[in-house]
This record gives sequence, C-alpha cells and structure tokens, in this order.
Amino acid sequence: MVPPPANVRRHFLSWDQPLLSQAVAFLAGGWSGGTPLDLSAVMVVVPTRQSGRRLREAIAGHAAAQGQAAFPPRVLSPDRLIAPDSGAGTASRLESLLAWTEIFRGLDLTDFRQVFPVDPPARNFAWALRLAQEFARLQGTLAEAGLRLADVPAKAGADFSEAERWRQIAGLEQLHADKLTALGLRDAQAAKMERAGTPVLPDGIRRIVVLGTPDPLPLALQVLAAHAQAVPVEVVVFAPVAEAVAFDGWGRPLSATWARRELELPEFERRVQLCADPSAQAERVVATARGYDEAEGMLGVGAADPEVLPLLETGLRHAGLASFNPEGRTRHGDGLFQLLAALAGLAREDSFTAVETLARCPDFQEFLRARCSDGFSAAQFLAELDELHAEHLPPDLAEARRHAPDSAELAAVAELRTTLTTGAFPANAAAALGTIFTGRQYDSARPADALAAEAAEAWTDVMRETGAAAARFGGVTIAEWWDVALRLYSEGTRTDEKPAGAVELQGWLELLWEDAPHLVVAGMNDGQVPDAVVGDAFLPESLRERLGLKTNAARFARDAYLLQALAACRRQGGRLDLLLGKTSAAGDPLRPSRLLLACAEAELPRRIKFLFRPAEAARPNPPWRRAWQLEPPRVAPPARVAVTALRAWLECPFRFYLAQVLRLEAVDPAKTELDARDFGTLCHAALEAMGREPALRDCTDAGTLREFLLAALATEAARRFGPELTLPLIVQFESARQRLTRAAEVQARTRAEGWVIEAVERKFVLDVGGLAVSGKIDRIDRHEGTGAIRVLDYKTSDTPAQPWAAHLRPVRRDELVPEFARFAAEGREQVWSDLQLPLYLRALAAEFPGEITGGYFNLPKAASETGIALWDDYTRELAESAWRCAVGVAAAIRAGEFWPPNENIRADYDPFATLFHHGVAASVAWKEGES
Amino acid sequence: MNRFGHMMILASAGSGKTYALTNRFVRLLALEVRPERIVALTFTRKAAGEFFDEILNKLARAAGEPEYARQLAGEIEVPALTAADFLRLLRTVAEAMHRLRLGTFDGFFARVARNFPLELGLAGEFEILQEHAARMERGRVLRRLFERAGELADAQKEFIEAFKRATFGADEKRLGAQLDRFIDQHQEMFLDAPDRELWGNAQRIWPEGNEWLAAVAQREPAAKALRAALEEAGLNEKQRPRWEAFFTELPDWQPGAPMGAGLEYLFKNALKAWPALAEITVERKKQALTPAASVALRMLLQAIIGAELARRLEITRGIYAVLSGYEAFYHDAVRRAGKLTFGDVERLLRPGGDGARVLSREAADENRLFIDFRLDAEIDHWLLDEFQDTSFGQWSVLRNLIDEAVQDSNGARSFFYVGDVKQAIFAWREGDPRLFREIFEQYNRVRPDTIAEEHLVKSYRSGPPVIAMVNAVFGASQVISDLFPGAAATAWNREWHPHETAKPELGGQVALLQGAHSTGSGQEDEAGRFATALQLLQEIEPLERGLTCALLVQKNDTAARLADYLRREGGLPAVAESDLHVGTDNPLGAALLALVKAAAHPGDTQAHGHLQMTPLGALLAAEGLTEREELTRRVLGQIHAEGFERTMDAWLRKLEPRLSPDDTFSRERARQFTAAAGRFDASGSREVAEFIQFMERHTVREADTAAVVRVMTVHKAKGLGFDLVILPDLEGTKLDGRRERLAVQRAADRSVEWVFDLPGKIFAEQDAVLSAHVREAEADACYENLSLLYVAMTRAKRAMYLITKPPGPSTSRNFPKLLAETLGEEGATVRVGKLELAGSFAKGDADWHKSITVAVPESKGEPETGRLNPAAVRKSTRFPPRRPSEEKAGAVEAGRIFSLEGRGGADFGTAVHELFADVEWVGEGGADKFAAAWRARSAASETGPGEAIEEVLACLHAPELAAVWARPTGAAGVEVWRERAFEVVLDGAWVTGVFDRVVVERDITGRAVRATVFDFKTDRLEDDGEAVSLQRHAKQLELYRRATAVLAGLAVTAVTCELVLTRWRRLVNVPGPAAKF
Repeated sequence: MVPPPANVRRHFLSWDQPLLSQAVAFLAGGWSGGTPLDLSAVMVVVPTRQSGRRLREAIAGHAAAQGQAAFPPRVLSPDRLIAPDSGAGTASRLESLLAWTEIFRGLDLTDFRQVFPVDPPARNFAWALRLAQEFARLQGTLAEAGLRLADVPAKAGADFSEAERWRQIAGLEQLHADKLTALGLRDAQAAKMERAGTPVLPDGIRRIVVLGTPDPLPLALQVLAAHAQAVPVEVVVFAPVAEAVAFDGWGRPLSATWARRELELPEFERRVQLCADPSAQAERVVATARGYDEAEGMLGVGAADPEVLPLLETGLRHAGLASFNPEGRTRHGDGLFQLLAALAGLAREDSFTAVETLARCPDFQEFLRARCSDGFSAAQFLAELDELHAEHLPPDLAEARRHAPDSAELAAVAELRTTLTTGAFPANAAAALGTIFTGRQYDSARPADALAAEAAEAWTDVMRETGAAAARFGGVTIAEWWDVALRLYSEGTRTDEKPAGAVELQGWLELLWEDAPHLVVAGMNDGQVPDAVVGDAFLPESLRERLGLKTNAARFARDAYLLQALAACRRQGGRLDLLLGKTSAAGDPLRPSRLLLACAEAELPRRIKFLFRPAEAARPNPPWRRAWQLEPPRVAPPARVAVTALRAWLECPFRFYLAQVLRLEAVDPAKTELDARDFGTLCHAALEAMGREPALRDCTDAGTLREFLLAALATEAARRFGPELTLPLIVQFESARQRLTRAAEVQARTRAEGWVIEAVERKFVLDVGGLAVSGKIDRIDRHEGTGAIRVLDYKTSDTPAQPWAAHLRPVRRDELVPEFARFAAEGREQVWSDLQLPLYLRALAAEFPGEITGGYFNLPKAASETGIALWDDYTRELAESAWRCAVGVAAAIRAGEFWPPNENIRADYDPFATLFHHGVAASVAWKEGES
Repeated sequence: MNRFGHMMILASAGSGKTYALTNRFVRLLALEVRPERIVALTFTRKAAGEFFDEILNKLARAAGEPEYARQLAGEIEVPALTAADFLRLLRTVAEAMHRLRLGTFDGFFARVARNFPLELGLAGEFEILQEHAARMERGRVLRRLFERAGELADAQKEFIEAFKRATFGADEKRLGAQLDRFIDQHQEMFLDAPDRELWGNAQRIWPEGNEWLAAVAQREPAAKALRAALEEAGLNEKQRPRWEAFFTELPDWQPGAPMGAGLEYLFKNALKAWPALAEITVERKKQALTPAASVALRMLLQAIIGAELARRLEITRGIYAVLSGYEAFYHDAVRRAGKLTFGDVERLLRPGGDGARVLSREAADENRLFIDFRLDAEIDHWLLDEFQDTSFGQWSVLRNLIDEAVQDSNGARSFFYVGDVKQAIFAWREGDPRLFREIFEQYNRVRPDTIAEEHLVKSYRSGPPVIAMVNAVFGASQVISDLFPGAAATAWNREWHPHETAKPELGGQVALLQGAHSTGSGQEDEAGRFATALQLLQEIEPLERGLTCALLVQKNDTAARLADYLRREGGLPAVAESDLHVGTDNPLGAALLALVKAAAHPGDTQAHGHLQMTPLGALLAAEGLTEREELTRRVLGQIHAEGFERTMDAWLRKLEPRLSPDDTFSRERARQFTAAAGRFDASGSREVAEFIQFMERHTVREADTAAVVRVMTVHKAKGLGFDLVILPDLEGTKLDGRRERLAVQRAADRSVEWVFDLPGKIFAEQDAVLSAHVREAEADACYENLSLLYVAMTRAKRAMYLITKPPGPSTSRNFPKLLAETLGEEGATVRVGKLELAGSFAKGDADWHKSITVAVPESKGEPETGRLNPAAVRKSTRFPPRRPSEEKAGAVEAGRIFSLEGRGGADFGTAVHELFADVEWVGEGGADKFAAAWRARSAASETGPGEAIEEVLACLHAPELAAVWARPTGAAGVEVWRERAFEVVLDGAWVTGVFDRVVVERDITGRAVRATVFDFKTDRLEDDGEAVSLQRHAKQLELYRRATAVLAGLAVTAVTCELVLTRWRRLVNVPGPAAKF
C-alpha cells in the first residue's frame, strides 16, 4: 500500500448534488467564461472510460452554458496511467502467452512437481495455451499491486503453506522472462512496473486531479505518488467533508469504517424490490422507464448483474425505447467472427461440414455472387449442398466435388481452401479475406458498413499482431494460429455509438458518475455487489491479504461507500430504486446483497424477513393456447400418383395432401447415415442388377449369386458414396452385405425350385377411376414347370413383412373408415392399409391371364427370417375389395378429400409432427371443398 | 466427548427434515462455531436456497420475539440463549454470507475442482457442460469418430468390430442412432468401471467355473443324438411337428437373438423338467424320454444356454469396446479441452483412480488435496441432507473429510446427516440408500455411540386421515412380506416406524377409489381414472377455497395428458409441471423455427410450406420476401450480423399484431423463445441446425404459482406438500421388475465385480450366479417402488384420493394389488361431498372441504414503479455525440482493409501528424533545423518513421505549403494550436475532436480577428483526387471551422479551412458558408 505523499491534497464534494456537476465545477473553478475553458494542463484520473466520457461531455456542456467551448483536460483511468509501453521491444500479450506456451510444452514437469503434482493427460498446444492464460492472468493480477510472481514467497511470510509451490512458480516466471529476453523482448508486466517506478509526466501537465475514484489500482498510486513530486496532485472524494475520516489519503473508503457502518437507505421497503428472476427485474426497470416521456436525463439504469443486461435491452427495445451499453459487446457476436470461424474450420480440415458452415455465411455468398458471373443464387447453392448431403453424405470437399464436378461454387471453396492452407498464417488468411472481399465497398455513411469496416480493421490488427508473433514463435500450426487469433479477436469489444435519447445501461462501478435524478439498479445480489473471491487455485483470500492485493473487505468498503453515495446524493428530489432477484435465469437461488443488511441492529430482523421472503412469481402461467391454426393452401389434386401414395392416403389423407399434393419434404441436416429408404434403394439396386444379368438366370449356386450381389452392392456404394465410406456407412453396408448373402441363398433355392426371373423393375400405369396410378414392380417370376407367375416386392425393413398384415389391419374402435376401405373377413372387420400387391396383380392381369400370386421377398434384420412371403390366400373377394378401395381412394383424391387427419400417428413416426400441437385437426383450419 | 455430537436422523415424510437441519445449523452457531466452518449440502439448488432462507428467518424471528427465542433455544439445547444472542448470531451469519458453504454436492465439488486444476490434471479453468452443450459435444465427437481420411485407422477398425460384436443378432444398421442409445444407457457405467477386465469376463462372473460354457461345443452332436434317440423311441402325431419345428429352427438360431417359436416352445418345456428330464410336456401331454434322449436333451440344453451365455459375454465385451472407443475420442476432444460435466468433476475427485488424491484438511500428506488454504476454508462441521439419495461416488469424495471430522480427537468437529430411506426414489441415478446405515454402523463399530440415531415420525404436514392411510399401507408388514418375499420387504419393514400426526386438528378425507368404468382397455381405464379425478376437483373446488392441490403421476407425458384433459374437459387451470419445451410446444415457436430452417435450407419445402400456412406467410409477402433467395439473404444476413435473439425478436415484433389481443400465452412463449435464443447466442454459434436442435431440447420449468391445479410426477413432488392430493396413475407393471440394462454386480464396498449383458430371464434363471443377481436387482427395484408410493402418499396435508382399477384376481404385484391387500378391495360407495363414488376404503370427513372458508385472495395490485416529476427535479443534461473524424463520407475498398500492409498507412499518418505537431513555425533556419532532431530520434528506435520524416520535411520545404508554417505578419498576436483536443456543443450535439493545426490571429487588444484551420491528410490512394478529398472531408472541416469560431470568439466566416494534402504537397481550401454568398 502506497501512503500518499504530503503534497497530495484531498478535497471533499458534498452529497447535496450529483458528483458530475460538482466535478466540473471543481475543475473549472475560477473560470469566468470570457475565454475557452482551458483545462489542457490538467490530468484527470477517473475510475473508468465511461466516467471519463461523461466528464468530458459535462465539461463541454459547462462551457456551452457560457457560449464557450473547452480545451479538455487529459482524462484517463488508473489502468491507462500504468499501461505498458506498447512500443517495440515490449512483448505483446500474445507474445507473452506464446512464450508461456512454449515453456509449458517443453517443460520437464518433474522439476516442478509442486506446481504440477500430476502429469496432465495430454501436453498439447491447447493445454499449454490454457495454462499460459492462467499464468498471464496471475502475472496481471500481481502486477496491479506492483508484484512479480517471484515476490510472493517472501511477501507471504514465513508461515506460508505454499511457499515451495510459489518458489517453483517463480522459477517458471524466470524461464518466461529468459525466453522473452532471448527473443529480444521484455515482459510487459515487468515493463509496466518499471515505468511505474519512474513515470514520465506528459508534456504540459501542471496539475493532477484524481476525481471520484474510490478504487484506484495500487500501481497507479505509485505513479501518482511519483508525479506528486513534480506537480500538485489533488484527490477529490465524493463525500461531505464530515466523512473525511472514512477515507484514506487516496480517497479510498477505509475497510474498518465501512465494514460495520449503517447505510442510510430511505424508504427501504418501498425502494428495495425483491423480484422473482432476471426477467422480472428487467420488467420492473422497463416499466419505470416507460413512466417517463423522456427517460434520458431523468432515469439512470444500473445492472449490477450481467444476466439482467440482455433482458433489459430486449425489454426496452420492446417498449420502443433505445438503450445503450457503454461497455460494448464482445466481438464474439460479430458477423465477421462467424465468417472467420468458418474459414478457420476450412483451414483446419476440408470436411463437408466446414464447407456447409462457410456456405451459410452471407459474406461468402456475396463473394460467390460477385464471382459467378452467370448468376449465383444462394438459395440454390444451399439447396444443392443439402441435396448432396442427403444423397451422398460426402465426408469432405473432394468427395462432394466428385458428385458435383461442375459446381463453380465448390470450385471456389476449393481454391479458398488452397489459399488458406498455403504459406504461413496470417498471410494466407489475409489473402483469403482479400479474395472474399475483393470488389466490395464499405460506405462510411452506412452504419452497418461502418461497423463492418471497424470489425475488419480490428481483425486485421489481430492478424498483424499474430504475424509479428509468428516471426518469433515457431512450431505452431495454421489451425492453432487460427485458434489463437480468433480468441484474441473475440476478446475485443465493440462499442456502438449511443443512439439519441437512449437509456444508458451501466455497470455498478459506473454509477457514481451517473447524475440522473432517478436511478434504478438491478441485480443487487450478493456476489455481484459486493463481489467476493472465495477460494482460488493460486490466490485465495488469505494470500491476497498477505500480498496486499485487493481483498473482499476492501471490495465491501468500496461498494458500501458507492451505495451510500448513490442514495445520499438523491436524498433531495431524487430517487434510488434497488432491485434484486430471488433466483438466476437458470433457477439458482440468489442472495440479497450484504450491503442491504448494513443497518442498525434493531432493524436487522425486519430486514432479514423482508429480504429473505419468498418472491412472488412475476407472471401467472397462462394456460396453453393456440396462436393460430395453420391454413394450408388448397391446390388441385394430382392427376397421377404412385401406388405407394394410396397407402399414404389410407394412413392419413391430410398428411397425403401435405406430402403428395403440396409436396412438402423436410431436409435433415443432421443425417450421418443411410435412412431406411436409402438402405432399401441400395439393396434393390444390387437385386435389380442380379435380375437383369442373363448369366445368372439359371444360377442355383448361392456362392455365385452372393459374389454377384456383393459386387453389385460395392459398385453402387462406390458410385454413390465414393471409395471411402464413413464408419456408419461401413456398418450399414455390412448389414446390407449380410442380408444380400442370405438373399443369395434364398434365390438359389428358389431357382432350384423352378422359379425363373421373368422381369425386373417393370413399370406400369393403371387407370383407377380416372386417376393414373403408376408403379414399378421389383420382380416377376415364372415357374418353369407350372408356368405360374408370381410378383415379388423386395422388403428391407427390420422385421419380415407378411402380405396380409401389411395390407389389412383391424378397425380401431370409434374409427371413421370410409366404406370402400372396409373388408369383412371371417366376421372381423378389417380395413385396407395398403394396396400395393393388389394393384400389381391387377396391372399384370392382362399380360398374365392365368393365376398370379403376389408376395414379398423379405431381407430383414434376422438372417433366419430372410425369404419369400406369398399372399397365398389372396381371394377374389379380396381382390375385388382391394379394387373397390383403390377406386374409392382415387375418387377421394380426385375430389380433393383430404380430411379428417389421422390423430393416432406417433410424433416420432410423423414427418409433419412439427406442424401440429395438441391434435392434428385442431391445428389446422381446413377448408373443405376448396381448391 | 464431542460437545456438538455426531448425529444421524431418519426423518419420515413431513416430519421436519429441513427444520432439523436448520436447527442443527443454529445450534452450531450458538456453540460459537463460525458459520463459514459449516458445510451443508443437499441435492437441488432450490433446496439449498430454501435452507438458507429458513436459517435466517429462524434467527430473525428469534431475535425479534423473546418467546420464540426461548423455544428455539430449548430445541437446540442451548437454553441460555436470549433474543439478543440470536440477534448477534444473525449478524454473524449475515456478514459471513459470501463465505457460507450451503449448496449442492455438485456445486461444492466444482468449487473444489476449480481450486485444484493442476493437481487434477486440468489446465486451469474449466467449463461445466450443461445438458444441451453436452449433447452438442457428443454429436461433434461422433461426427469426428465417423470421419475418415484414407485407410481406416486401427481404432476405427476396432470400433466397427466392437460394434458388430455389441449388436450381435440384432444386425443393427443405424450406427449413429444405436451409439447414441448406447451412450445414454451405458456411459456412466463405463466411467464407473473403465477396467476392461470387468466386462463380460467369465472368470469374474463365475470364479468357480461355469458348466454351461463348457458345454457349448456339444450342440451339434447333442442335437444329432437327441434326434436319433427320439426317432428310436417314436413320436406320436402331435409330438412330431413340435419336434420337427424344434430341429428345423435349431441350426438357424443365433445366440443373442430371439428364438423361433418352435425352438422356444420345447426349450422352455424342457427347462421345466430340469434337471431330471425324465419326461417333457408336449402339446399338454407328458412325453416320456428314454435315458438316451434325456442325456442328449440335457447336453443340448446345456449347449444352448452355454452358447447364449458365451454370446452375451462377447456382446458385453463388444459394448465395452464401443464405449471405450467413443470415450477415447470424447476424452480427447471434450474433457481435455476443459469441458466437464458435473459427473466428470465428481469422478476427478474420487479417490482410488490413477493419481487420484484425497481431500483433506490435514496439510501433511502429498497425496492429499489440502483444502483449507485454497478454499479459504477450515471446514469443521458437515451437514448432509437427503442422505438416502447420496451416491457412493459422492460419499467417497467426502468420506475422508468426514472421517477427519468424526475422528477428531479434540471433539471440535462434527457430522450430521439426515434423510429418509423410505423416500429413496433416485436409485436410478446412483442414489444409494444402504449407505445410510452402513456409515452409522461403521463408525459405531469402531467406537460405540459415536453417532447418535434419532427417528422423526411425527408429521407436521399430514392430518389424521392421511397418516392413518399411510400407516395402513406401509405398516402392513405381513402383507408386504407376503407380496414381496425377500430383501426388499425385510429392509422396508426394518425401517418402518408407525407415523403420527402433529396436527390432530387437521380435518380431511382419504379414500381408495375406482376409476369410472374401470373395465375396459388400458386407454379407457386411464380415461376413467382421469374422469374421476376431474369429478373430485369439481366437487371439492380446491382453488376456490384457497387450497393447494396436486395430481401426481408416474411419467411426464401422463402429466401433460392429464393437465390437458383437466383444462379441456373441466376448464380448470391445470399446469403440467414437467419441463416445458417452450420453443416447440406451440405454433408460434414452430413457425419461427420453420423460418430459420427455410432460410438456411432453401430446399426444405416443408419449412417453406409451413411458413405459408401461418401468418408469417403474409408477413413475408409484405416484406417482399416471396422468393427463397431473398428470404435466405435477409434472414441469414440478420442472424449473422445480430444473432438469433435479435433476429427472432425482430420477427416476433412484426408478428405481434397478428396475435389475438388477449393471447397472453403466445406472448409469454414469444418472450421465452427470445430468451432461449439469447442463451444460444451466448454459445457463439450461428449455425441454424444447432439452433434448431437447441430450441427443440430447451426446456423451461414453470414458476411456482399457487392458484393452479398442479400436475406432476411423484419424483418432482418430493419435498412438497399440498392440501389435496389425487393419485390417479398408480397402475403399472410389477414392482419388483428389474430395470432393463447391463447387469452390474457390486461388492459390499461398491466396487464393480463384473458387468454383463444379462440374457433373457429363461437363461438367467438357470444359473445360480445370475439368478442371485437378478433377485438382488429385483429387490432393489421393489424397494425403490415402495419408496415411490410412500413419497406419493405422504404429500397430502388434508385429503388424498387414490384412484385405481381394482386388481381382482390378477396376481400382478403392482401398486393396485398392494393397495387392495392393505386397504381392502370390497366394493363400497365412498361419499365425497355430494359425490357417490365406487371405492373400498375411506376415512375422515366426506364434507371436509365444505367447512373450509372460502379464501379471498389478497389484492396485491401492481408493484410500485413510481417516477419523479420531471418538472420538479434537475434533469441531467445529455448531448448526442458527434465526432468530426466520423463525418467522413465515401466508400472504402473492403478487400483492402484486410491487407496486412494497409495499416502502414494509418501508422504513417500518425507519425506524420506527430512530427507536424513539433513544428510551430518554419521561419528562420528553415525546415532543416527539425531534420537533425527527428533523424536522431528515429535512429534511436528500431522501427522509426523514416519515411514519415522525409514526407514531413518535403512538405516543410514545399513552396505550395509555405503558408502553413509561415507566421502571419499582419497580426498583433498569433497563437498556434497544434494537435489540440477540444470539446464543444454545436446544434445541441456534443462535438469532440482534435485540431491538427489552427493559427489564430489576434489584434492588439488580444481579440481574435481571423483563424485558419489546417488539416493534414496523408491519404496515399492513387485514385483519390483533390475533388474526392474535398468531398470526403468537407463535413469534418466544417465542424472544425465552427468549433474554432466558438473557441476563438470569431464569426464562422472569419475562419478559413485548408486541407493539407501531404502526398501532393497541395493546399486545398475548403469553402465556408461565406463563399456560398
């Protein structure tokens, strides 16, 4: 702790007025208004950037009130006062991290067992970098108090239990410093401390004022103490002079005084509001803001809990009020970050996923638009990628291009990937970005462009910093450089310009400088105000105390003072509302700020009961209600459908309408393997090839058939999925191989029994009551002895299908089934659920006038169940009933009858489940008869 | 003697567990224990919060009410305490709030781990993966695992082989889906028992050997011999087809797969005759077997069972290999990257593993994590809540610390644990109720009476009828023993103590009722039970009487169905307190997801079609977004620039007017949707597919509200109490049904002895080891189910109605059976108010509800938001800001910004400006007088601005620019502002900027007469001409002109502005307002 030199003088500003106006008056003391308000010889230290901004604005206003303008003082925050020299020779933060990283990667951990008691699972770059950040953080924290890691063992005292560990840490610090020296660099923290020892007063500064800064960094005080030898240093405390004993010479609230002090918070139970959760707090603030015609200048808003902040922004936006967060937001949310992350992904690997991610970046689409002269459509490109994915599941870009050799877009991606992986980072990254943005203009007058340009500049700075570091540090891969650079970039913040009239949403430490008469502070929960460090891997509280770092007691004192000042300066005519949450957004219980318990002993029980009562739910839970019903457009029914469509209609006419008439089909971006249809198609392809192969017509050797089928499968697999299958595909092909192996045996047997394949993939179109119904019959067999004909459909579902069960099912109780779909069999009422085999038989009736049987060639999961299942008892009645049903369905389709829907389809089997809530019919406003 | 006392409390439902725990805390405080030296852990964050509130409220009340202070002092056995003492304790706790350790096990473990990262092999900070994030990580790991480049890696080959083995007989063709299931089912198990030797290892399962396995090879010869023996003995017509089917299916049967019907029929019948096998039942007739047939059949059965067991062993090892393959990838990609689940954290802290350490307060040992220093904690006292739910893993993390406390020779530390083994309903997530007594016995064995035992059986929740019913069911030890012979009943009856009520005055009613028309199918049966529940609610009108009310069911989807039914059929405000899928459970959310999907996947015709059917369709048309291209550009552009929250919010605001004005529900969902989108944004991802997945999984628990009929699962109701409870969902399968999953046999110390994918019951029953395991697992399941019913039946304060279908002659050992056996099944009519219902047991007052005064809800009104009167206070003055440097107009080439060389321009510009700032006048000695100093300075620094110096010198020499640095001669006084900052308010806006150079000329009185603003432009762009420069900078210069006018006290017309184009050494005058006239 640095005691202030004798020539540091304290001044006190009363709580009768806000700090800001008094601060300006203090600085402008003696100025008459005839000339510009010239404060250029004054250096003013304020707590934060935002407070500096507010001060300069108020100075401008003060001068303007006299028709004048100002030459402002040099305003800066304590951390700027000790900012390290960023000039040549000082390691940047990145260089410092990389030096740590190299050390950790090369370290013999057995020499540092107190620090690394066990070996980590993997000593890779990511591990080392994360550790590097930890050590950099440690250096930074200690440097704030002017300490190096090596100072800890001595400072901590003889009875310090982790002295040996810290001696080893000091050894690591030495390695770090040596590494930097070897690279011609100095450690920034060390440089900072050095500078703080012999600070240089900027030219022209003749007076230093520390204004309303209750919590300056110790190292900054060292600088100020040094400056005080040359120029007067004044410390201005926002507290009445009667409070002087509660502050030290630097204007810091004294822990001992503030720890037990009663805080005066008038009308406590009216002004302190317990809310259920962050949204409830946000709602209260928004309601307050809405109470003012013009909130700006009247209302200040503080958000001590960062969780409330985004909800406040949204809430205010909804209320039509602009808001402004002076802290800005991290670049992690920038549009550019997304593009960069996508490029990093592509640089890392040419996976198809990386391509898809990049393709959805608007900037990249712009690039393709400019590049593809014959017209580029983002929608078409994305749809093509989805199709490629669905059809070929390409693992990487090369495989995708094999299936889309003409795609100019994929060619562009490939070129970009070459750029990204050629040469060194960041030159390759810069080149890729240069290519992507070639020809694009940012118009400074457009806010969106200005933001984009600013983001681009921020990234370019990062690339330069990385480039400089890359010149010194080897052994880092391109992908690792990208990781590092993206991390640096995303840690940066962007501050948008404050919109006119916006409500400022400020952090707790900013609020002392807020001069709006009505102040609402949300998030007054313990851990936020005051914040507290409890336990730490390196610097627990007990060690912090020994080292003179900021302690919980000091935080408490600072925050108690701040709360008192905020309340006191609004005592006359102003108002301070404090909101606190009972739980966090995730439902974690929160506790009220301890500051709210800083009251007289006699008052404490009442406070406790008030603050620790259950919070009422802010909102009643409204019962479920439908926002709207879906209104499907009515379009003309198709003139032609596939046989399978009849089954769809029978299952659910409305879903038939969606699928077959409106042709709605979903894309599954998460697809990683074959779906049931793909699987069937593959097996079919092999079986079809077998059927077409004349050489196999009379083959009864299962081995030959198997070899053929497996070869055909392999050919099809290679055609569709390339030479290298992904793991799921390997497993699925294995399954297909097993099924086909078994099918070969069945086929051999069947041929031996006299059945010869007559035709495969026979197409037909049937006129069913005026509706053209088309189909493709997998296979027609003829018995060489009897001449009998049978029609087979290959089935690859997991369990073997039986023709009867697949076509007819019992009627459900209370089910409304059209008359034409019913069939009474042995006294039990059945209903048609499929018409495939009956229609096949019907379609072939003319060609094969004799007896034809229909059936399935099952290739199910269980090998033992592979075989042919025929519909032996397919009677004339069944055939007639089936035809009646087909005609009925066809008539219904032609008449546009697609209602009512089937309510009994389980959501996980319903491709349209996302459209329906609480019943299908209830979800849809179906207009009967329209088209 | 330990003055604090170690204590185990077995607290029955409603008997004041929290009360006991908070009293214990207060007692410790009263014995001058610093609050931060007490650790109190429970399972849910909510419980921890309530626990803390209750301690403070208790102290506050005692501090304010002397009578209560006396009572509390008595209860905690520190009778001397006064209200003043409690006030002091209250202050102590309040001040130590941030240091208190009241929370969850998970939270405590995470905190410990955060403080010992390097000791645990981590690299600093780690992130706790919540459920969604963990799923995403799993997806990514699987994708990585599936990818390949070139030849399959060995690990991948092994993985496929393992997968095949793990799915023997199932021929599983969906790897992704199957793997997902595997991980769900077995990952925890794998992590608990990562040793390969434990999985499917016959030596571990049957250390004495296994006769079945030895017989595997006999299958074919035995079959042949059996066939021959049977043929010889002759088969009749009925027997023959049975045996034919048997022999046909036998070769086709794959162990691990289901048997064909023919094979299974005789196999089962043969086992019934085991081991004599003198005869076998075929077609309901006994068929005698010859000795040869008997021997052959025995061999065959042994071979079949052996083959099944062998296959299961192989499958188990396959599962192990699949999991370990996945885990290796996962561990590399996720945990090593510092992303841990709470389970991972706990496992890191468990002693016993590789390099694992023991948590300790004693600093000495190397293998100990000395927590006092790092945690800023010296923990002396342990209070563990809901101990029956503590897992062995959790206990093993804390065990050493608690040992230290219990064995502390100074008696300065203590251990206190409380729970109810009858409420052990979390065994499926490793809750281990047996620990309760084991720990007690273990400590007391070493030193008798170390831990005191106390039973709390007096319920402060339930009135006499409820307690009577609970005692009638759960105290029926004989019935329970008869129904569930074995360990479960023994354990239950041992722990049972008859309950009492502390509220004899609490009137109410209990009854066992039949559902309306309880005769039909399962579905109709449920409808009947729901209907009866609704009737009860309509009769009792709990909400109108201010009574709290809950309907408890077994599953979440039943809760949703029942709540829906009550709303629809009864118009009741019923809320299913399951986790709500707020993003997808309503048309609004579904439409928004369709919007983003349509934009990101333009080929998704379903998403597009969906949009068209909603009001969004018209909205898109109104926005001109009818074409897919436009939609993709707009929405993806929005998402990338602003994230999902803002994008969704913007669309929701547009949709808002299309919602019905009174549709508060959809508006609430809209709010929840954007809030969820905000949480997704925080992940940094802008991937639409990930967003949709997130929204599909995202759930919100509805806030507690009093005035609703709450419908929830029994699990969720644990810890809660309601005036009226209805249990309409007690049907189900037998209570002692073993959970279908890998069998894990544990030793007494909970170490895993073996893991095995148990074959079907028919096989397992034949083997002594396996059947013993099954019996144990069934007993555990049975005990857990009894606990579930106990929890369900102890939630009611006044009234409880159980609605079941009477079991009749069924022998199923399920809840209805237990209730019928304990409460009776005789048909009777139960009156509830004016209702006459079929039932069999009733106690209490049929009109209990009528005597309850109808509560008038307290009018709370809107909370005060208040505002100040703007006329009466001094407003703070704010000015919209304006920066001259931002007044630049014109376009920048975007591609150039990314150039690594580009920055040179800016650095160069800065350097030039700094040099110019040195120059007041060139005057005598010319420019060269600066050159030497600059060059010297430049040489001193490595990367000095040599180029800038040359440029500045050239400018200083240039005749065209001479006027800039020439001191004006006509003026009496001249002042130069160099690199000077200013602040000024112009047109109500706050302008802040820096002048490069301003020359102010003054007359003899010191009054300014004219001023010239020089602004240096170092732009080097070849294509920028004078006119372009002028146009670009005109606005900026205009602001400088006006600022100068104010600062110098001049008319604007007296200020001249000049652009100094350093590259071209040109001076360009920027015409001012005067020039316009």
